[in-house]
Amino acid sequence: MAADAEEEQLLLVSSLRQWDSWKQLQREEVALFSTFGVLFVTMVFFYVVIRVAFRRKVSNTILLVGLSDAGKTTLFYQLRDGSAHQGSVTSMEPNDDEFILHSESTKKVKIKPVHIVDVPGHARLRPKLDDFLPKTCGLVFVVDALDFMPHLRSAAEYLYEVLTKTVVARKKIPVLLACNKMDKITAHSTDFIRKQLEKEINKLRLTRSAISSADVTSEISLGVEGEPFKFSQCVNQVSTAEMSALNGQVEEVEHFIREQVKP
Amino acid sequence: MLEQLLIFTRGGLLLWTCQELANSLKGSPVNALIRSCLLEERAGDSSFQYDAAGAAYTLKWRFHNELGLVFVAVYQRILHLLYVDELLDKVLQEFSLVYSPRRTEFHDFDDTFRQLLKETEANSQQKRGVGQQNSRKVIEGKRQVGHIEGKGTKSAGKKSSGQTLGGDDEADGDADGKAKVFGNGKSNGKIGNGVSVRNANGNSLSGSSSDDDSIMSKNSHETAFDVSKLKLRNSKVHGKKGVNPLEAQKPSSKEDVGKKKQTKKNRVWGDAPPPSKLDFTEPRDEAGQEGPDVVPIVTDQGLSLMDKDEEDDGDFEVDLEEDSAKERGDGEKKVPTKKGWFSSLVQSVAGKAALEKADLEPALKVLKDRLMTKNVAADIAEKLCDSVAASLLGKKQGSFTRISSTVQAAMEEALLRILTPKRSVDILRDVHQAKEQGRPYVIVFVGVNGVGKSTNLAKVAYWLVQHDVSVMMAACDTFRSGAVEQLRTHARRLQIPIFEKGYEKDPAMVAKEAIREAVRTQQDVVLVDTAGRMQDNEPLMRALSKLINLNEPDLVLFVGEALVGNDGVDQLTKFNQKLVDLSTTGSPRLIDGILLTKFDTIDDKVGAALSMVYVSGVPVMFVGCGQTYTDLKKLNVKSIVKSLLV
Repeated sequence: MAADAEEEQLLLVSSLRQWDSWKQLQREEVALFSTFGVLFVTMVFFYVVIRVAFRRKVSNTILLVGLSDAGKTTLFYQLRDGSAHQGSVTSMEPNDDEFILHSESTKKVKIKPVHIVDVPGHARLRPKLDDFLPKTCGLVFVVDALDFMPHLRSAAEYLYEVLTKTVVARKKIPVLLACNKMDKITAHSTDFIRKQLEKEINKLRLTRSAISSADVTSEISLGVEGEPFKFSQCVNQVSTAEMSALNGQVEEVEHFIREQVKP
Repeated sequence: MLEQLLIFTRGGLLLWTCQELANSLKGSPVNALIRSCLLEERAGDSSFQYDAAGAAYTLKWRFHNELGLVFVAVYQRILHLLYVDELLDKVLQEFSLVYSPRRTEFHDFDDTFRQLLKETEANSQQKRGVGQQNSRKVIEGKRQVGHIEGKGTKSAGKKSSGQTLGGDDEADGDADGKAKVFGNGKSNGKIGNGVSVRNANGNSLSGSSSDDDSIMSKNSHETAFDVSKLKLRNSKVHGKKGVNPLEAQKPSSKEDVGKKKQTKKNRVWGDAPPPSKLDFTEPRDEAGQEGPDVVPIVTDQGLSLMDKDEEDDGDFEVDLEEDSAKERGDGEKKVPTKKGWFSSLVQSVAGKAALEKADLEPALKVLKDRLMTKNVAADIAEKLCDSVAASLLGKKQGSFTRISSTVQAAMEEALLRILTPKRSVDILRDVHQAKEQGRPYVIVFVGVNGVGKSTNLAKVAYWLVQHDVSVMMAACDTFRSGAVEQLRTHARRLQIPIFEKGYEKDPAMVAKEAIREAVRTQQDVVLVDTAGRMQDNEPLMRALSKLINLNEPDLVLFVGEALVGNDGVDQLTKFNQKLVDLSTTGSPRLIDGILLTKFDTIDDKVGAALSMVYVSGVPVMFVGCGQTYTDLKKLNVKSIVKSLLV
């Protein structure tokens, strides 16, 4: 009996010892993982705190859209640096920067910077527009007034696409039709451009609603049914402006931007 | 002579152009390059041909992805300028040193450029003398060492021209090794220099072969640079270690470490003799010492090749890890897997310095295979991957991202870009336009036999009729018996007028008469059915070319099966080519759009859509997806991209 008990005790001790050493091993592992766990939790916590503290209350993003060669990149640099530099070529990526407008840089008062994105006009790069739209508070649609008629249809199609985006309609993002290259003598007037675009969009309205049956995206119908389309029928404000990006006549655009993003 | 050299950002701002070469370029070759080459995912090509009135240019380009810069050189095509590639590489190196994102004027670069131009021109002249080649290489090798010594890590990123030309393998490997010592492999990332990277890897993999050693030591003797040689040895040892524990995860780590420590020691000791020692003794010495070490490495290599597919990520992540981290990992006596996990954690948090070709290759290969299983034509998958690689090389990888996901995202963007039509696919809009001008809108359906031209013509007719457009069919398949009757049946079912002239007539004339008839009866749309023809059938292709050029249709629809793989590309290119070759007019009509049929039969193997769009650059206008008249759809680009990459 005694021997049995002793043996049992021995067994117990040895198993306990084994247990101990195993536990020791486990403890190291647990310590390692718990360290990482704690680290991770702290990081997440800080991230959340920072996000809450620095959350942007009002968006200050203005998009420059339009066809290729309309003058978006030039306008972008004109707004930022007050100069067109040495010219530009077709953009392959959006130009994206947050800055105080160049014309306001001399003022002493503290001004809220504007986030301006120049979205490339090439048709293949248009899907990029969707990335920026959700946080946009204003759209500048740049139109080439000099070479307008050949590009009327594609410009109208692009504008129609922009205006029927769900985000634009729901958030009522104001759109400015900026007619570029107005310094040239042969440039069309803003009134003419607006009317032509309205006419084109009116046609597009008919054909586009026919196609969308195959597409899943729920498109927004523009204007009033049965009436010729006018920009004034849009849920969002559509205004026009004259400018010349190359010569730096961009006051109207700056005015529009400052209306959307209060200094 | 070089016509012009431009440097601009990907955003499109011109940063620098050569003032001296202020030759006014005819047309806008750079914009053409961007629009029809770089944005069409053809950036993997080596050059671009531009034709305009009175000018024929060749354009070459380089990307600096980290800084988002593009370098473009323009020269007359008749001049075969051999130094352009070299010049671009040099300009890229030098400009990336002076570039800062806030600056927009770089007038001070003029002098540097002048010097570079002179240098490369002289080089290219020299290169013509074959006898001088060897001496040049030695000189360049020396220059490189000087560079590294003088400028430290910064200049490690530079490459001597000898390397970029890929002239001599041993020199490449050597220089690369040295660059690694200083710049920790940074040099590779700067330029997509596939040759040198491969060499470096090859060296560290094979490692023990005495040949390499002898060459390496010889080179370092030539340059007489003791310290660098020592470090070279070290880096080599590390390289081997980096490969070892990862590629072979199973072998007992303790023994390995012990062995390696020993070999490392020995090698340092073996290196110690002064450089004046005779050359041939050293390689034999080393080979002898490395004898026991050779065998396990070879077996390890075999293993790694076996499970390469599964272990892709870990493989290259540690391969490019910094030396210090490796040493620590070994010293801490950790299990190899844990080390890999730890280092990958560190790497994922810190982000990677710059992506290199070797990093991207495994991920790209996986992606390429996936595209090919989705029925994308082989060479197109290849080209796409090249283009994606070109857009990623040298880019900084963000924190918490894996290379495979970075590559995947880039590919997704590229695919979306390709498949997004660059012109409007709104046919109804065009029909209305034509109606205003008082003429019928003519659509010609072309394609090989049995793809479903007539069936889908009927579907299009049905769709148009649904939208209040008056349609007329023209039976121009005067070749296959029963074709006219088939079309007549469709016309009767849809209540559409049909224009037919029986068989054995010239289809071009039948189409012409049909259009005349449509004008007379004021039909809005004429749908012209043509005979199916194989792309190599010259007489039939000639007839088609005649039909198209004579009648000038508004839309030439290529009807293609979604089932085809590589052949679809061949069909489309040959059709386009034949239309060009066999046309009598100066500006031949090409295919304007694609109608993809039998789309319901292919499940998720939607690769044909991508192949055809990529090769022709025209959009998919319709997708036929069933047997009834209603089964005509628009292509949903997003879902295609999704199913291609799943």
